[in-house]
Amino acid sequence: MSRPAVFILGGAQTDFARNWSKENKHIVAMIREAMVGAMEATGIEPRDVQTAHVGNFAAELYTHQGHLGAFVVDVDPALSGIPTARHEAACASGSIAILAASAEIEAGRYDLAAVIGVEQMKTVDPATGGDFLGTAAWYEREAKGVEFPFPKLFGRLGDEYDKRYGLRDEHLAHIAAVNYSNARRNPLAQTRNWYMSESHAARHSRYNAVIGGRIKASDCSQVTDGAVAIFLASERFARQYAQRRGLALDKLPRILGWGHRTAPIEFDTKIAESRGSQYVLPHTRQAILDAFARAGVALEHIAGIETHDCFTTSEYMAIDHFGITKPGESWKAVEEGIIELGGKLPINPSGGLIGAGHPVGATGVRQLLDAFRQVTQTAGDYQVEGARKFATLNIGGSGTTSCAFVIGN
Amino acid sequence: MGDTEEGRFGLQGGFLSTADSVGSDSERVVILGANGVMGIGAAEVFAAGGYQVTMLARDQQKAADALAEVQALARAEAISESIEIGAYSTDLERSVAGAAIIFEALAEDLELKRSYFERVDRCRRPDSIVATVSSGLSIAAMAEGRSESFRRHFLGIHLFNPPHMIVGTEVIPHTGTDPAVVAKVSALLSKRLGRRLIVAADRPAFAANRIAFKTLNEVAQLVPDYGVVFLDYLIGPHTGRAMAPLATIDLVGWDVHEAIVDNVHAHARDEAHALFKLPDYMKQGIARGHLGDKTPARGGFYRRTEKGVEVLDTASGTYHEAAPPAPIQFVERMKTLHRVGRYRESLAVLKTAQGGEADLARRVVLGYISYALNRVGEVAATNGDIDTIMSYGFNWAPPSVLVDLLGAADTVELMRRYELNVPQLVERAAAEGRKLYAGSVLDFGRTFVG
Repeated sequence: MSRPAVFILGGAQTDFARNWSKENKHIVAMIREAMVGAMEATGIEPRDVQTAHVGNFAAELYTHQGHLGAFVVDVDPALSGIPTARHEAACASGSIAILAASAEIEAGRYDLAAVIGVEQMKTVDPATGGDFLGTAAWYEREAKGVEFPFPKLFGRLGDEYDKRYGLRDEHLAHIAAVNYSNARRNPLAQTRNWYMSESHAARHSRYNAVIGGRIKASDCSQVTDGAVAIFLASERFARQYAQRRGLALDKLPRILGWGHRTAPIEFDTKIAESRGSQYVLPHTRQAILDAFARAGVALEHIAGIETHDCFTTSEYMAIDHFGITKPGESWKAVEEGIIELGGKLPINPSGGLIGAGHPVGATGVRQLLDAFRQVTQTAGDYQVEGARKFATLNIGGSGTTSCAFVIGN
Repeated sequence: MGDTEEGRFGLQGGFLSTADSVGSDSERVVILGANGVMGIGAAEVFAAGGYQVTMLARDQQKAADALAEVQALARAEAISESIEIGAYSTDLERSVAGAAIIFEALAEDLELKRSYFERVDRCRRPDSIVATVSSGLSIAAMAEGRSESFRRHFLGIHLFNPPHMIVGTEVIPHTGTDPAVVAKVSALLSKRLGRRLIVAADRPAFAANRIAFKTLNEVAQLVPDYGVVFLDYLIGPHTGRAMAPLATIDLVGWDVHEAIVDNVHAHARDEAHALFKLPDYMKQGIARGHLGDKTPARGGFYRRTEKGVEVLDTASGTYHEAAPPAPIQFVERMKTLHRVGRYRESLAVLKTAQGGEADLARRVVLGYISYALNRVGEVAATNGDIDTIMSYGFNWAPPSVLVDLLGAADTVELMRRYELNVPQLVERAAAEGRKLYAGSVLDFGRTFVG
């Protein structure tokens, strides 16, 4: 039985270089600007929106504010009364919000859903922020009293690769340099004007400190304030929407497939469980396979990927988990330029989490919006030429919650 | 940068790196005055964009010190891999001969600049671009007496301080600049260096400084009547600016402020002529070495001491402890609305607030809109250009946004009330019920501070 289609009508992203605390803004202003921007970009009216889902990781910690779904209603009086919810799965929160909205559309409950991903992170100093992010791991066992727990956990992901297959840090440095380089083409990327070079990324220095284990500052994604809003629609709504714009329905991208898996939260348990597997994070691999199977596609159909490079090691992991190389051979794709813009299968043309920025709860939504831009040929200077189908991978915790999407038309 | 890496990798001989492919030896930028603030900032911007950079200063040591500052701006020692340093006496001719771009960032002294351009003219490649970072001197005057090739390839690239943070950029051709050069420079600035740029006219202070310093000096003129703290509060960030006006003048430096307003006052005639007259108390302050943040011991409008912040009393020229401003209801209401992203409602509060304070705030804000949009066609081609440069050069709300949020018809009415010149395009927008700003709230939201 074929599932009802879920269409993506477009959306908008805030400039990830902004510091909303310096603007003295409340998190509702981020939701408002992203929503208003998305309505301007798509021509969707507030009265069209039937349901709203917010992806957010830790607003209670960063801004002392919960209940974010309700803030969507504050954007316009016409939204008063719509059902809303907030979703949390650490850095995968945005994708979970997308899954919830698309499930409602598939179930036939609603025809148009707004999905907003939002995180305001520059409210606290780096050490405090690092501690907040530690709650995405098993806090008491893995993060409590640990300075910057997540770089250390993803450093250990690299160590595990090293143990099983060998890993050279210059491959990680190259991944960092590619993401920064791509970000220079993205006018909304946080690091678009930052200096980066492979030789800077390749070595420890005064300005490239070791943050934890083999992870240096250049291997890390950014602390980012950001919000993204997109609209998902049923076929009924999409048909009218396309008609009003003189478009053929099949020109509108849709979510072709999705995968969603959860591994044990504790890193050691996860790794112990995967010991017999060729894949270091088999549940992440499975989420990708699920998305591909549901979409009825194979890797060769995919024009590019927006993946979760919270650290260079997680992008290194994504390369073999997507099947671009055999397990443990991600370095080959790095060396051969496959993952670069202009390569055979560009990864993170937007700059990813390292270059574009990582407002935690917004990232999954940002990935889907960037994939939308790619398959509608509207990605500007970071367009992957002729892209028809794009994949995303969004990960919460130390490879704990994995969400993958395939979108296209 | 990439050579050794290629040796290690490249199993297939096809190691393609977009990260390293942007710079090449054929694209060398030579910076004159590389040890000044703008020279250092420009070196970082060009090197980060993938250019090979030569930083020239009076001597090798000054250039070496400047390179360390570039590394600090870039937060990367490795940036030095694409930067070489040198001295004018030994390295200018050699490096200029091999450069695609010669970027002049010497002191704001026309004769000094001209003497260096004469040297550059003798040794530059015929296709190289020569640019000045001058913030308001005549581009045409700098090109006088130079060869035809130099003149065709010469223009202003006005960066704002600090260039690695503020992306607004003015490109200023003179009448002899080849349009193809303007197009080429515009493309490399926007595509490769991430600048938000406009083409500005070769008029005193160009576009952004002309418009901004009119408002800044207007507020400075009001200080003897209203006081520093009151004005920076009343016309503070909630009126659409990242920083309050008098604090901005302290940051810029009183001497730089004087140079800009004197230049406009002497060389431009417009409806705001009187507002460009430097207040006497500032003239006296400058004579006594009070230049703002750059003279921390003497101060400017503010002086930071161990005890806290003091403010200037213009009557006595002395400083006293800064009492916090008495809250004004409409100001606090505007800040609350900005904080939650309700910019239109905040501007509606400004529009309708009662009392002399609200009138003063409105007069300054409407004066900014009026002056800025009356300069369309004079300092820049369109209101969109002026919006871009006020937003990305100064972090001020674009004037067209303010018109849209206030409503064009109400803007016209308010301008008449304050006896300001109503720009034609605002009258037209009011008549046609049309928006003036082409962008989105996502572009201008950051200019309203809660």
